[in-house]
Amino acid sequence: MAKLVVLQPTKQPPISLLSSSLSHFNGTKLSQIQYKRKVCQPKGALHVVAASSTKKILIMGGTRFIGVFLSRLLVKEGHQVTLFTRGKAPVTQQLPGESDSDYSDFKLSAEGYDVVYDINGREAVEVEPILDALPNLEQFIYCSSAGVYLKSDILPHCEVDAVDPKSRHKGKLNTESLLKTRGVNWTSLRPVYIYGPLNYNPVEEWFFHRLKAGRPIPIPNSGVQITQLGHVKVSGTTAPLHMLVLGNEKASKQVFNISGEKYVTFDGLAKACAKAGGFPEPEIVHYNPKEFDFGKKKAFPFRDQHFFASVEKAKHVLGWKPEFNQVEGLADSYNLDFGRGTYRKEADFTTDDMILNKSFALQS
Amino acid sequence: MAALASSSSSSSLLFTTPPSKLPSPSSLCPFPRLSLPISSFLSSPLSISPSSLPYPTTSTRCFASFTVRAAAAADKKKVLIVNTNSGGHAVIGFYFAKELLGSGHEVTVMTVGDEGSDKMKKPPFNRLSEITSAGGKTLWGDPANVGNVVAGTSFDVVLDNNGKDLDTVRPVVDWAKSSGVKQLLFISSAGIYKPTDEPPHVEGDVVKADAGHVGVEKYIAEVFISWAIFRPQYMIGSGNNKDCEEWFFDRIVRNRPVPIPGSGMQLTNIAHVRDLSSMLTLAVEKPEAASSNIFNCVSDHAVTLDGMARLCAEAAGLPVEIVHYDPKAVGIDAKKAFPFRNMHFYAEPRAAKDILGWEGTTNLPEDLKERFEEYVKVGRDKKPMKFEIDDKILEALKVPVAV
Repeated sequence: MAKLVVLQPTKQPPISLLSSSLSHFNGTKLSQIQYKRKVCQPKGALHVVAASSTKKILIMGGTRFIGVFLSRLLVKEGHQVTLFTRGKAPVTQQLPGESDSDYSDFKLSAEGYDVVYDINGREAVEVEPILDALPNLEQFIYCSSAGVYLKSDILPHCEVDAVDPKSRHKGKLNTESLLKTRGVNWTSLRPVYIYGPLNYNPVEEWFFHRLKAGRPIPIPNSGVQITQLGHVKVSGTTAPLHMLVLGNEKASKQVFNISGEKYVTFDGLAKACAKAGGFPEPEIVHYNPKEFDFGKKKAFPFRDQHFFASVEKAKHVLGWKPEFNQVEGLADSYNLDFGRGTYRKEADFTTDDMILNKSFALQS
Repeated sequence: MAALASSSSSSSLLFTTPPSKLPSPSSLCPFPRLSLPISSFLSSPLSISPSSLPYPTTSTRCFASFTVRAAAAADKKKVLIVNTNSGGHAVIGFYFAKELLGSGHEVTVMTVGDEGSDKMKKPPFNRLSEITSAGGKTLWGDPANVGNVVAGTSFDVVLDNNGKDLDTVRPVVDWAKSSGVKQLLFISSAGIYKPTDEPPHVEGDVVKADAGHVGVEKYIAEVFISWAIFRPQYMIGSGNNKDCEEWFFDRIVRNRPVPIPGSGMQLTNIAHVRDLSSMLTLAVEKPEAASSNIFNCVSDHAVTLDGMARLCAEAAGLPVEIVHYDPKAVGIDAKKAFPFRNMHFYAEPRAAKDILGWEGTTNLPEDLKERFEEYVKVGRDKKPMKFEIDDKILEALKVPVAV
């Protein structure tokens, strides 16, 4: 039976990844980053978490994007954080990836965790072993998805709305149901599109590549489709949302949408990216996607529909106030990532050229 | 079983059905807030225990609640509503008057113009007897002369639901101030928001500096201490003076295509007027909280233009054929052809929720069913109609129309 190895450093180390702690169980990559630091003063007057109670926190995932920021915040608050990656992303060195199905064989036996943040769980089977192994869990905080909402002519999506059992994200729904039936104290956060420095999903990066190359931005159909971006730092003028739910009774067994306060049209997003990166106003070209066969390539990073959710519940119930406005948030991403020459995916303008060459651009 | 409470503050039990996309049983169909005639109350406030109310049997996501508000004698207000005699906002004053009366306040409705004018034959003006029979007063006159029209009566609260520019509203504001009115409310418009790529319009967003309502808003804030401004969009509701959902029903029942400009993805906000009325009533009953605030007076959900067509068809139990067109290409003025703005026009009622604790009850799928029932009841589905602009659009698009 695999065990989670927990290392206690003898003195407070600088933030470093303990590569000797890497274990390899049935292909499961396990990386532990364990910090023990002095309890810091809580930030902000409305900080809800009792900083005096240091928690032992397990983050499922947490090695690429959301968790990278979250773990720093938790550590700053004085908690003990362990990261457990199921995924393919390299941590300290390249390791062969493992499939999610291997994980379900894995029995987690740990010295005990008070709280789990599950950032990357997709299917209910991935969560079951964790709940089995941690019967006294104080809170299971799950990163679900607003993709579970049933498509509707009436918007925004609110937490009470109908969900779609057939959606691409039904695994997230099944996980939420599992959490409910297991009686654990759960909180589910449903983001829309997440953005910010280190984004591995080419959301803003897709626009930045084209803006940098001085290329037109091809946007499907009318460009008035409304989407919504939530900055990864989820920081608020009060406290970051992921922190506000920690140990918070008001978050117990509740779902919260988490994203920006304002929504944005596709056309508007192209313009905001340009402003954020200091580029001139972009040339936007609309096209009818039905007139093209892009094969397996994605011609545009967003669902071609309205997709946005109200975050008023998190604001009212938890006192959260999102910090960044659209351009500020995109500028943060640009200045700390793409603008420095870093990005995750190489630019691929194949579909753009198909669109631009066929002069069937729709007038907006 | 009702229990009499002896507290001196008004008590209320909230009974609202939030918007739901699940089919609800007809027993949950939202109905206008129950207005009990004041005579049924004793002089002390009344509360109704929740255990006596039926609970819905659908999913736990929906909850139902019921508002019976009776104001304590100390909180009773004397309210004057200066009401427009036409247009989409006319119905606001009608519902607001009835809700205030139901809550035990004194209400006078001053409709602009003459009692004998033709405009008074249209709803809601042909139903003003519902106000008088509930104990309200109705008057007619020129807002520039409001002091004389109300013949020296004093009021605690004045709502101007009429003027769109400072010239029209200033006399009302000035008279209210000088006659000791404590709270001034104004129906402005969400149309003054500057169009944006980042919806929704929220209170505090930039407005069009040259809009008439903006001048009024500024003046009220300068002159009054306790004021609140309300910015509505579109509304549905029995007694509406201006067509809203009827535009869709007219075409759907006659098996005509519904021509919608642009992509049909434009979002708009269509509220049941009871939501606007409840927001105004909350402002009257919580004047300190409401003071110096702007409130988007809209429902808490947006709907696409195509979506509205679909919902109207579902409410009618009929199919719908939506046809999109480019007004410029066809050579028609979209404003004349279509009753909603050809763009995203989407405000959210965040201030009302944050500050007044207001909750929206608009449920378009359910509300439109009621609206369709009335549409048929008054025989509008059989009324002969011409669709000249529609025909021009469809001709240009070569879309066949069933004869």
